[in-house]
Amino acid sequence: MGVLEGAVIYANLLTLLAIGLTLTYITTSVPNFAQGSFAIFSSYIAYVIYKLFNFSPYFSIPFAVLFGGFIGVITYLLVLKPLIKREASILILMIATLAWDLILLGMIGIFSESLSKYFGAYISRFIFPYYLDFKIAGVQGILFSSTLAIALSLGFLMFLLYKTKFGIAMRASMENPSLAEIMGINVETTRLFSWFLSGAFAGLAGALLPFKQEIVQATGQIIIVSIFAASIVGGLSSIYGAIFGGYLVGLSESLITFWLSKIFGTSVLVYSKAVSLAILVITLLIIPGGLVTIKWRRYLWRSKR
Amino acid sequence: MAFEALISSILLWFGIYSILSLSLNVEYGYGGIPNFGKALAVLVGAFTAGAIVNRILIAMYSIEGPTITQRSGFMKSTVDSIIASNPAYGIGLLIFTLLLAGVVGAVIGALYILPSAKLQSDYLAITLLAIAEIMFMIAYYNTDLIGGYYGAPVPDVLAFIPGEIREWAFVVLILFLTLLTYLFLERTLNSPYGRLLRAMREDPVALQFSGKDIMWVRIKTLAFSTAIASMAGVLYSFYAGNVVGVVNLFARVNWTFFPFLMVLLGGMSNNRGVLAGVFSFVVIWRLLDGYKHEIAELLHLPFDVNWLQYIIFGALMIGILYYKPEGILREKPIETEPIKELKTKHSEKA
Repeated sequence: MGVLEGAVIYANLLTLLAIGLTLTYITTSVPNFAQGSFAIFSSYIAYVIYKLFNFSPYFSIPFAVLFGGFIGVITYLLVLKPLIKREASILILMIATLAWDLILLGMIGIFSESLSKYFGAYISRFIFPYYLDFKIAGVQGILFSSTLAIALSLGFLMFLLYKTKFGIAMRASMENPSLAEIMGINVETTRLFSWFLSGAFAGLAGALLPFKQEIVQATGQIIIVSIFAASIVGGLSSIYGAIFGGYLVGLSESLITFWLSKIFGTSVLVYSKAVSLAILVITLLIIPGGLVTIKWRRYLWRSKR
Repeated sequence: MAFEALISSILLWFGIYSILSLSLNVEYGYGGIPNFGKALAVLVGAFTAGAIVNRILIAMYSIEGPTITQRSGFMKSTVDSIIASNPAYGIGLLIFTLLLAGVVGAVIGALYILPSAKLQSDYLAITLLAIAEIMFMIAYYNTDLIGGYYGAPVPDVLAFIPGEIREWAFVVLILFLTLLTYLFLERTLNSPYGRLLRAMREDPVALQFSGKDIMWVRIKTLAFSTAIASMAGVLYSFYAGNVVGVVNLFARVNWTFFPFLMVLLGGMSNNRGVLAGVFSFVVIWRLLDGYKHEIAELLHLPFDVNWLQYIIFGALMIGILYYKPEGILREKPIETEPIKELKTKHSEKA
């Protein structure tokens, strides 16, 4: 897999995850620490379905998406809604999602180890080998499928938000929940749906991630840092921000480390996450609101004069 | 598992986690700073012992070897034999490492909050978590720094005590340092500084109106509490004889999530409550860990009990947040002189 190719695949999937994180942040104002585990649990589901039917791994995508959506809904109903009703602060809700992440990690561990016994094979650590993927003109299919996944998800999201009545209700409850409630919108339904969508996006990313990298039980815990970096760099409360941030962090994590390794040798490769940290810190120092808060138009207007 | 080993492990972890949770209580319970990167402080301790002090000792005895892990191993055997015949050397090494960790911790703690000193609650928590996680990843994957996943052996500072009671000597040492930390923090937090922290937690804007610089208070607090918490990292590394127990990929669970669980279980901004929380947690945790093979056999579990532990503690945390958010012991007002006077007057009347 070429470096640029790998970087684009990673950025596609990271953007998908960042959009999911941002979506629930906007509607429920909780930064969800379990987003990475949503994806990794779905990866295991996808792998088990692949093992059961021995068909193409792409066949398991719908199951992974539905499963991801299911965890998202459970997260909201079981963990967050009772606490929100008690008017818990954002910090308490964050700690609750950290705890939920730990529970999911435990479930992933139990699931993978029990199934390892069942299949009589070690499935705690796996990857979809390249020969399972299709090829177009010598390029691995995951490049196209991950791009298609993000394009379809974005298209669906934009259509939903801007062309349907439910989407307008959703946007209204994002902007101002109490006003939306007065207008007769059921804010609970829109929140629940946003958690479903967020989980489903994570499930989609999770089903495709094993084509790119090896999955272990704790992968979710590692990838969550990049997801947060992507969302914050773009601006936590904007979906466009998640897209910007996802591609910026995803591409630079792979590409900058690759270029640095050409200069300083391969020992730099372990610092790939430090690149996203550096981007995060610089963003927070200069533009704490994220990329979307820069008023590009103002700079353009100034340069014209 | 032998009963004696269970008791000593409960006491030992009670000491280590008390130091960590008490320092988290300064940040989160009193100051309202959601330090989701608490593990970094422990890493600082392990780093001081495994990377700085080890390198000093390696240079002192001019030990050669291909990797830091091997050099540390050779150095450990040399230094251990010296400590075995010279107790003062071991105690001196321990005190030197603790002090150095305090200084490094204060500097790192101040630098660590700097990018996020102006941020609000959720952004602040995420940024702190991200910084700590990435530091851990670097320490784990870069094997030249502190041994990474190979670990780095550290000298046994109590090598002069015979093997069978060394475990208990460590327990006594750690509990003594825990007591010191508790008494010290109890005094510090009952001073005007403690009230300043509570004021910052309740209403930072009002505090700014009375002329306090929030950013400066945050930097000072993080430097202070990280210096204390790095002690836990040093002590655990010396006890385990290797830094590999700190530098691993489950650091967020062991060194950030568990302390938060203990602080919330015991009761925020109440040091005695935190100690109660640490004790209840450690007893459950060590019992589950000590009897995990028996549990797995009894229930015919086809998986490691550690996973079950994660689910239990995650559920416990959510349960506390839902049913008993104030914890075992509630926060109490600070007993200043005027309040004491008022109380005595009140009781005289009644």
